[in-house]
Amino acid sequence: MSESEVRRQLRDWIVNRAKEKPESLSDDTPIMENGILSSLDVVELILFIEHIRGDEVDTDSLEPESIRDVNAIYQTFFGV
Amino acid sequence: MRTTEEVARKLTRASQKFFYDVTTKLVWPETLDASEWTMSPELVSLYGTDVWEEMSEAQRKKLAFHELAGFFSLILHGERPLLEGMSHRIYTLEKNLWVLEYMHHFLDEENKHMMMFSGFLRRYLGKVYPEKKIPFARKLAAGEEDVAFFAKVLVVEELSDYYNVIMGQDDRLPKIVRDVNWTHHVDEARHVHFGRKYLQEVWERTSPNWTPEEVESFRTWLVAYTNASWRDFYNPAVYRDAGLADSYAAREAALTSKVCQAHRQKSSEKFLQNLVDTGLLLEVPELA
Repeated sequence: MSESEVRRQLRDWIVNRAKEKPESLSDDTPIMENGILSSLDVVELILFIEHIRGDEVDTDSLEPESIRDVNAIYQTFFGV
Repeated sequence: MRTTEEVARKLTRASQKFFYDVTTKLVWPETLDASEWTMSPELVSLYGTDVWEEMSEAQRKKLAFHELAGFFSLILHGERPLLEGMSHRIYTLEKNLWVLEYMHHFLDEENKHMMMFSGFLRRYLGKVYPEKKIPFARKLAAGEEDVAFFAKVLVVEELSDYYNVIMGQDDRLPKIVRDVNWTHHVDEARHVHFGRKYLQEVWERTSPNWTPEEVESFRTWLVAYTNASWRDFYNPAVYRDAGLADSYAAREAALTSKVCQAHRQKSSEKFLQNLVDTGLLLEVPELA
């Protein structure tokens, strides 16, 4: 899957999951800080990341910054 | 109505009476028979979905084994912060010596449960299914951390106890599976009794100082937390190990299945009703 497709899928998933749909979501919009997702959505987000990555994710050493925005998610889980 | 101290005294006597050595209490067979059910099929998370209907009995039994391992892993991960949080609060939040006496039994028993579940997973699966959490701080009202902690304790204990009671008496399951579930249930019955009383006490002491918005925010969080805890029962890693081709789709199907939703609601009935009886919730919510 191309980078742009991964990013698009992540943005779509986040907007669909959000209780209050954001007017816009760019790759540098802080998703937790802005309250788009809550801490209770994190497991769902990680499972979705595993799904499109096709591989399991080890969250033990991860910090909140790793899912700050789509850019961070891409770098952490899909970057080479 | 009994005071928390009276409840703690009674439960301490029971913990002393039923005290056991976890290293010798259970007889572990070398292997589990793959042709047997290892989890009650009605409790398997995909039960009632199209995916389940399309599986052969052998596939269902394989899934049941991994589900049981997933369930024990889930309790392990739930009990870890519980031990941590209780250790943090003993002698700080609580000063009554009788209540503290029971808290020591509580900690002892929780540690035994973790050894028991870990022992099962080491022998028959060779791993613990990891949890997928990243810790996030959220804004809390004064004292809300303690109320939320004891509410989380109850979520772990009451949801798992529903499963333990059924599997502890299910003759289709191997003796070791029944014994692990029943041993956990016997201790947890006391923990739930204590947890309900203690949560009520902390709630009544704390929440009157909150603004109506803070109370509302807590209630919203509590229902969302219960829903999130239920979603943890649907584990793609379990489905993958059981050989399902699309584990993510299987999970999505179960989360949106009416049969599965009804199961979650029914299994949570007593737990949710208690939250209403103690004033933490205003009405029994319809779970997602």
